[in-house]
Amino acid sequence: MLATLLSATLNGLAGRVVRVEVDVAPGLPGFTIVGLPDAALSEARERVRGALRNSGYRNPPRRITVNLAPAELRKAGASLDLAIALGVLLGSEQVAADAAGLGLVGELGLGGEVRRVPGLLPMVLALRDRGVRRVLVPAEAVEEARLAPGVDVEGMATLGDVASCLRRPRARRVTPAPLPRTGVGPVVVPEPAARGAAGRAEYADRVPDLSEVRGQVVARRGLEIALAGGHALLMIGPPGAGKTLLARTIPSLMPDLDDASALAATVVASVASEAPVTELRRRPPVRMPHHTVSYAGMVGGGPRLAPGEVTLADQGCLVCDELPEFGRDVLEALRQPLEEGSVAVVRVGRWATFPARFTFVAAMNPCPCGRLGSAGQSCTCPTGVPQRYLRRVSGPLRDRVDLWAAMDRVPPELLLRGPAPESSAVVAARIRLARAAQAARNAGVPNGQLGSRALRDACRLGAATASRAVLLADREGLSGRGTDRLLRVARTIADLEGRDAVSVADLDEAARFRVPADRFGLGVSG
Amino acid sequence: MLGIGRLGPLGRDGDATTGGSASACPPAVDERGAWVVLAGAHGVGPVTFARLVAAYGSARAVLLDATLPGAVGRLVDASAGSESGPVLSPASAMTVVAAARDPERALDSVRRSGVSVVTQRDAAYPSRLRQIDLPPPVLFVTGSVESLEPRRAVAVVGTRRPTAVGRATSARIAAAVGASGATVVSGLAYGIDAAAHLAAVRAGTPTVAVVGGGHQHLYPAGHSGLAAAIAAGGGSVVSEFAPDVPPSRGTFPRRNRIISGLSDATVVVEAGARSGALTTAAWALEQGRGLYLVPGRLDDPAVAGSLAFLREAGPEARVVAGIAELLEDLGLDAPPRRARSDQAARLGAAEAAIAAALAGGAGSADELVAATGLPGAAVLAALTTLELRGLVVEVLGRYQAAGRLAERPRRGPRPLDARDAGRPVG
Repeated sequence: MLATLLSATLNGLAGRVVRVEVDVAPGLPGFTIVGLPDAALSEARERVRGALRNSGYRNPPRRITVNLAPAELRKAGASLDLAIALGVLLGSEQVAADAAGLGLVGELGLGGEVRRVPGLLPMVLALRDRGVRRVLVPAEAVEEARLAPGVDVEGMATLGDVASCLRRPRARRVTPAPLPRTGVGPVVVPEPAARGAAGRAEYADRVPDLSEVRGQVVARRGLEIALAGGHALLMIGPPGAGKTLLARTIPSLMPDLDDASALAATVVASVASEAPVTELRRRPPVRMPHHTVSYAGMVGGGPRLAPGEVTLADQGCLVCDELPEFGRDVLEALRQPLEEGSVAVVRVGRWATFPARFTFVAAMNPCPCGRLGSAGQSCTCPTGVPQRYLRRVSGPLRDRVDLWAAMDRVPPELLLRGPAPESSAVVAARIRLARAAQAARNAGVPNGQLGSRALRDACRLGAATASRAVLLADREGLSGRGTDRLLRVARTIADLEGRDAVSVADLDEAARFRVPADRFGLGVSG
Repeated sequence: MLGIGRLGPLGRDGDATTGGSASACPPAVDERGAWVVLAGAHGVGPVTFARLVAAYGSARAVLLDATLPGAVGRLVDASAGSESGPVLSPASAMTVVAAARDPERALDSVRRSGVSVVTQRDAAYPSRLRQIDLPPPVLFVTGSVESLEPRRAVAVVGTRRPTAVGRATSARIAAAVGASGATVVSGLAYGIDAAAHLAAVRAGTPTVAVVGGGHQHLYPAGHSGLAAAIAAGGGSVVSEFAPDVPPSRGTFPRRNRIISGLSDATVVVEAGARSGALTTAAWALEQGRGLYLVPGRLDDPAVAGSLAFLREAGPEARVVAGIAELLEDLGLDAPPRRARSDQAARLGAAEAAIAAALAGGAGSADELVAATGLPGAAVLAALTTLELRGLVVEVLGRYQAAGRLAERPRRGPRPLDARDAGRPVG
């Protein structure tokens, strides 16, 4: 007899609905899975057999054929286990149930326990979009699945639960399912409120406040503008200037994500995370990959077509310390996400487009010895070496940097007696306002991503401001692209100050974040 | 003057002495074109050029003869002077022969590169260069040819690896020189040269870059944007080498004589023991032009070359005792000045506060914020305002007073001040 069930696999960050057809037919006993399964999926046969036997069911001595449709889609992972097992039970008439409108996602253990698979949330979302109204998921990840709105989610601890749940159609299981007998450790589920507060406190604990950063007015302001408008920021300064400390304050400056962005960020977390995701990710992610990160680690890929750092930083911030030390191909790979907000990963027979819309913050030394431009110190690098070092960051990538901030070590006099710096809360409030202003004006596009035309409209240049912009662009030898950069930054500054139109002062301030011509040459990347 | 490329085609002012006998021979170029071809041939410098033209009577005659059999030997012989032997190597003579056989190729390459050409025969040839020994027969120029003949011109040169103070000094001198109406001449190199050009461009005054290679091989390549800004800003980038000549070890010392030769005076900001800027200094003295060196601390390697030069050169080599003093020594008028109170009134409150803080020794944006008590954003905006007015220069993230603000220090003899004693000059 033929049983048909709906399940889902993961392709990149998107769930793909898979129709699982199980035919239990007379003939030589066997178990065949067709429909481009990968290695993990082929082994589903053994897991399903073990789970059936150890859950008290028979393995029918029939010819079992499992077809995974659509046939041309390459399927990976163990998320179909549960559907296959139920299909065998239905096909062999050990369980009778109406599976219409039902979706199942989960991996099976040999003892029959149902386990979480990475990417559960996007799979449930995909099933929902296909019209599935009821989804059975692993009990340990039921909270993750419930983040998908508009679908009935039930947690299953064992294969036996599934069968009994289907025998009593529409019986809602509200209480958390019993813990699995083996394999998974005890799952501690604290009260939601307490968990949220504790998580937030721990999050804040590791993040320094902006008031701890003394001096560095240019870089601080640059960071504020970058986070407000989604501009790429590059800090150049000697070791010890505070570049890393400043970068670590970023989580305290970014506003919470709205619902749509939060769901997108949670989907990424669901795919990337080993542990179940328990709540919507309201805090934007901040990723700081080490400079030894591989190409696949940065853009995504690998056998599982896993998301890389640029995607993990989606909706948040990607911080690259020691930028020239990153591999050349890794740096070049950043161009596409910076330009398009997404990255395409192609593997043999599979491809995926990952979202990668992040604020790019990078830091670097001015030269290999680190002393070029430091007050009271002189660079010991041979002639031309600092220039070559800077040029490891290629022109096209430099073109994407809207904000350049030169930093130097803060003299002890200022460290001890300088003016008290603003706190993260004050700056974060301005950033929130600027974001709101952009959202209202630019139809959701941050200033950093505005095209030339929309940018000119948004800036509302008058006669005085337009001629100031021309003057600044001329002096710096700016191309059209460089002029756009100036206007983009000025627009965000005006948003931070709550101004409708860009003012001369905004343009003047924006000009201070120009490409440092005394390091790179004038207008080279303009 | 007629140029090639942007200023129009070659060859309207050809001299009428060329006979009809040449019609069968390839060099169908006029005398001016022949100058460009001959001077542009690799291995033909100003000495060789002068001797060949002297021996044959005209550049066109040289090219005509070069197309005939046995020309290499004749050319080498003709390049011998009264006292010295031939200065043209046989290999170079063969490039002359090749160029003579197909002069259009050389001229085409010049046309295609879009540079203007100024020969010594043109009225536009800079008069200061006519006065020096071994003037380049032909100059290849991008930007404004008129910028080569400014009312006053001052070269600002120095090491490619300056200290931060050196960069700032270079920028301040260039800004002050530019503000006084004179043109800044330099060599487009890293370091002091670039700081001088950049300050002039940012102050909106013309500046001339003399490069040590052809325009197609601009060196350093990273300064192509700066070169473009110089040309766009009413200045020029000039070379004695044809556009397709790559720079080499020997081309840079050669161009140094043009830097000093285009200028009324040369200012050396920082020069280490073996800095090429010292050859520019030596050229300036030889050409009878002014020479000023910025001194420094006794044991500072950045100025070791400058100090040694000062010691060995005669009294013609002068010391830069300050920006205002330098302008005075150079005979440059201070910029058209308004009454000081007027000027202060024209500065906004933030700008005035920053000007005061700069005079008080603040240099970084952080120090300015601390000294003025203004918000960071206001300080940054005001710095740009000051920079656009030529009153501030930025070098590697530090700010220095320039233009009129740098003149503030009182003139004339004054009692020794303990605070000034420890400060580096400039």
